Amino acid sequence: MGETEFYKANSVKEACDLLAQFGERATLLAGGTDLMVLVNRRQLIPEVLVYIGECGLNYIREEETGLVIGAATPHVEIVRSELVQKKAPLLAKVISTIGSPAIQNQGTIGGNLGNASPAADSAVALLALGASLKLVAAGWERTVPAADFFVGPGKTVLKPGEIIQEIIIPEEAAEYKWAFRKIGKRRADVCPTVSAAVAVKTENGRCKAARIALGSVAPTPLLSKKAPEMLVGKTVDAALIADVAKAVAEETDPIDDVRATAWYRRRASEALVKELLSQVIG
Amino acid sequence: MYTLELKVNGQPYKVEVKATANLLEVLRDKLGITSPKVGCETGDCGTCSVILNGKLVKSCLVNALTAQGAEVLTLEGLGRPGALHPLQQAFHEHYAAQCGFCTPGMIMAAKALLDENPQPTKEDVKHYLSGNLCRCTGYVKIVDAVMAAAEEMRR
Repeated sequence: MGETEFYKANSVKEACDLLAQFGERATLLAGGTDLMVLVNRRQLIPEVLVYIGECGLNYIREEETGLVIGAATPHVEIVRSELVQKKAPLLAKVISTIGSPAIQNQGTIGGNLGNASPAADSAVALLALGASLKLVAAGWERTVPAADFFVGPGKTVLKPGEIIQEIIIPEEAAEYKWAFRKIGKRRADVCPTVSAAVAVKTENGRCKAARIALGSVAPTPLLSKKAPEMLVGKTVDAALIADVAKAVAEETDPIDDVRATAWYRRRASEALVKELLSQVIG
Repeated sequence: MYTLELKVNGQPYKVEVKATANLLEVLRDKLGITSPKVGCETGDCGTCSVILNGKLVKSCLVNALTAQGAEVLTLEGLGRPGALHPLQQAFHEHYAAQCGFCTPGMIMAAKALLDENPQPTKEDVKHYLSGNLCRCTGYVKIVDAVMAAAEEMRR
């Protein structure tokens, strides 16, 4: 195999054209915080690098569909954005816990999602917020719910030639009460052992909508199916919270690895959901 | 190979690099600028920290070609013997280095903090240095040194 080739896309169209040209030979590069780890260790020797960090995908704005964030927006800009703090404070909080100040400057939200780590923090927040992802390629575009985006560790529904263009957070996300916590061995630059986010909307003491998402407890970031079924329409008390926490823990499908055992992860999931739901509703 | 042009500590350079090269290896192996250290090469330890276009980065995770036309600041650009930067002076006076391997990264992270926030609290300092590991002396003296330098620089 020859030397790796490098192309810098100067626009989204250029990025799509480069991907159309090189197909599966191309590897996307934005902030590099995940990709360069593999490249430095020679675990990945890309044939063609397509750099999309400066192709016009760095923006945060309000549109009719909701809050829209360009895929190559660095974490630090999302955390500091007044618009994000107002419209999706859960996302600002969660992303503020990613990495460390340097990683916050370098890494991008689209990279965090496209890398599809089961531990991806931004994924946990976006699942809880009911966000969707707009994907674009040379000749087509489509929007998929964040809940359908992840397929397995490192695997997404992205087809060859597609890139994540932007993330869309619905307007109603601002109406949710939320809480987030992650467990890890170090506060900074840590891959979480377990993380969880809850977003709940209540009306007259009853739960109107609820989403619970967890990281590092399944092959993909996990959005609980049972939580909304059990919570919506109910007056939430301590007994129901305990039942929901137990049900969510049963939905997890964790593994043993260097960070923790599956046994620990399942128990921690239950404890986190209980704690976060109590915080939000209690 | 690709041609990379960038400025390091105010000096322009033009070098040939591979598409997979990271900024750290370009600085050290191509330019002989060795204050950024090779620690983990996975972005965990922070000893390769430099300031790229005004922002703190871990240079081992920066693909070198994405720094095309950039301005890089390393420890070499802060001060020199006899004319130390207040951060270097404070690290010296507060015994904030033991083996010294993490020190260049610590000082660059501290510099990025003080550029942004000249009046940090101890908590701000701890947060900003959270991506930098020291494996021998601990962090108390390092935090003290940054606080002292911040005070000195406000005078």
